[in-house]
Amino acid sequence: MLQPVPETTSTDPGANDGTWQPEIAELHRREAMAHQMGGPDKIDRQHQGGKLTVRERIDALLDDGSFHEIGALAGRAAYGEDGGLDTFMPANFVMGRGRIDTRPVVVGGDDFTVRGGAADAAVWQKQVYAEQMALELRLPLVRLVDGTGGGGSVKSLDTDRRTYVPPLMGWHYAVDSLATVPVVALALGSVAGLGAARVVNSHYALMVRDRAQIFVAGPPVVARVEAEITKEDLGGAHIHGRNGVVDDVVETELEAFARTRRFLSYLPSSVYELPARGDQTDDPERRDAWLIRAIPRNQRQVYRIRPIIESLVDETTFLEIGAGWGRAAVTGFARLDGWPVGVLSSDPYQAGGSWTADASDKVARFVDLCTTFHLPVVHLVDQPGFMVGLAGEEAGTIRNGVRAVAAIHQTQVPWCSVLIRKVFGVGGAGHQSSSRLSYRYAWPSGRWGSLPVQGGIEAAFRAELDGLADDEARQARIAEITARMEAVASPFRTAEAFLVEEIIDPRDTRPLLCEFANLAAPLRHAGPTVHGYRP
Amino acid sequence: MTEVRSEIAASVWKVMVEAGQTVEAGATLAILESMKMEIPVESPRAGTVTEVRVAPEDRVAEGDIIAILD
Repeated sequence: MLQPVPETTSTDPGANDGTWQPEIAELHRREAMAHQMGGPDKIDRQHQGGKLTVRERIDALLDDGSFHEIGALAGRAAYGEDGGLDTFMPANFVMGRGRIDTRPVVVGGDDFTVRGGAADAAVWQKQVYAEQMALELRLPLVRLVDGTGGGGSVKSLDTDRRTYVPPLMGWHYAVDSLATVPVVALALGSVAGLGAARVVNSHYALMVRDRAQIFVAGPPVVARVEAEITKEDLGGAHIHGRNGVVDDVVETELEAFARTRRFLSYLPSSVYELPARGDQTDDPERRDAWLIRAIPRNQRQVYRIRPIIESLVDETTFLEIGAGWGRAAVTGFARLDGWPVGVLSSDPYQAGGSWTADASDKVARFVDLCTTFHLPVVHLVDQPGFMVGLAGEEAGTIRNGVRAVAAIHQTQVPWCSVLIRKVFGVGGAGHQSSSRLSYRYAWPSGRWGSLPVQGGIEAAFRAELDGLADDEARQARIAEITARMEAVASPFRTAEAFLVEEIIDPRDTRPLLCEFANLAAPLRHAGPTVHGYRP
Repeated sequence: MTEVRSEIAASVWKVMVEAGQTVEAGATLAILESMKMEIPVESPRAGTVTEVRVAPEDRVAEGDIIAILD
């Protein structure tokens, strides 16, 4: 583990000419030692595991040549009897500043080649410094997590000869950052305990399939209380890509870096700035003809929401976030006439787009994210209501659902709802805040109410229906009442009463959304929001 | 062999294929019903259906196998 110190030249010409050249040579020698990381064998093992080293990762993430390292000299040194540096083991955390798409960021990554990224090789002040730097310099932070990254090891009891109340060194910086700067965290190996917490305490968490696992504690600890289990079975992407522990699963580290760069491209460097307008690459007046048949006339037939989103926003700008979990809700960033916005919708293929407990959790977090970084929100509403049924009740749907509705009511970012189909129940009613003016358009396919006609009749007319002699008569009466109710379900009747403000041709939606983005831009407020962000 | 699973908790409304049948990618294998919507379960690839695990009016949970393709 300890690195042999490279030979030095004792006849350095600077030694006698009054310059500090000997010290500069020593600086470079020590930096070179830091660059050896855990040594060639450990680096080989890292590569054989299909993983890049921390320095390769940083180079791949950042703009070419932009990394300015801080703290390369920190580590464990051993000195010979002559007082000269014998060996040096760098700290297992590499950090500094760099640029992503020319904008400055802070990056910090675990070096798994040095003691597997574990705490006993850490110089923990480096991690805390990276967190504090991002917060106080108001720069986005990217964590490359590969190891326990700071959590304790039982081994330390042997050396310390005492135990300790577990600290969370500098964690307040990590929490404050969530309300201040964008934080992206990548799980790039097996991460446990504090490492897992550093992944999740972020605005955007990613893990690499088959290479990364996340757990509160790893298989050896779990084996004490449960059966033996592999790392992948305990904390692989098939688990955490479905439960919201990470937002997205990627196939390779390079894909993780590309998604990180793209995610950050929609956001300001801190909450003290506004999201910048990007290139105007698409005609704001574009009207895609197929939108007039995008929603099937058969109300029981589902449709694909993502092509609709992609048609409405600037071409190729939709970045879906969290596609693998809470799948009844669809969330992501996009641009409208160049302006970054949040897009919220439902996927009818997932229980009709009904907000389940986990979909509601996803919505609440997404709305909070848009709120924190001042992104106006476009909500394409097709909401049959919160998930009904025993499974929904057992999952605590109403609790999470109401949290989502609260997030929607608390946000002050400009909001535009497009009612593309259903708006039912509390979930439907919560599609925008009732406390302020929002843009709202309805497509002719819009249907709404407290309960869908089909489900509500038996409840509303129970006494009358129960009085009927046989099932045939009952079904006939239900059909008759249904026909009566359906006759008044036309959205035009709602518009007559100004209970929906506008019914539009679906093909006009993009021009109207671009108008919204342009009118919303000057209404955005830079600065911290009242409610801090919770992961 | 590919196991085609339900992505949602739902009831089975219609089964559209039977064992031995060949299907194209994207073919509807079954139609589920949830929240009053008809939700097709589509074949992820072309192949032969070797087994159908559900029948109309069955309840399926998320992750239950609908059919197996060879």
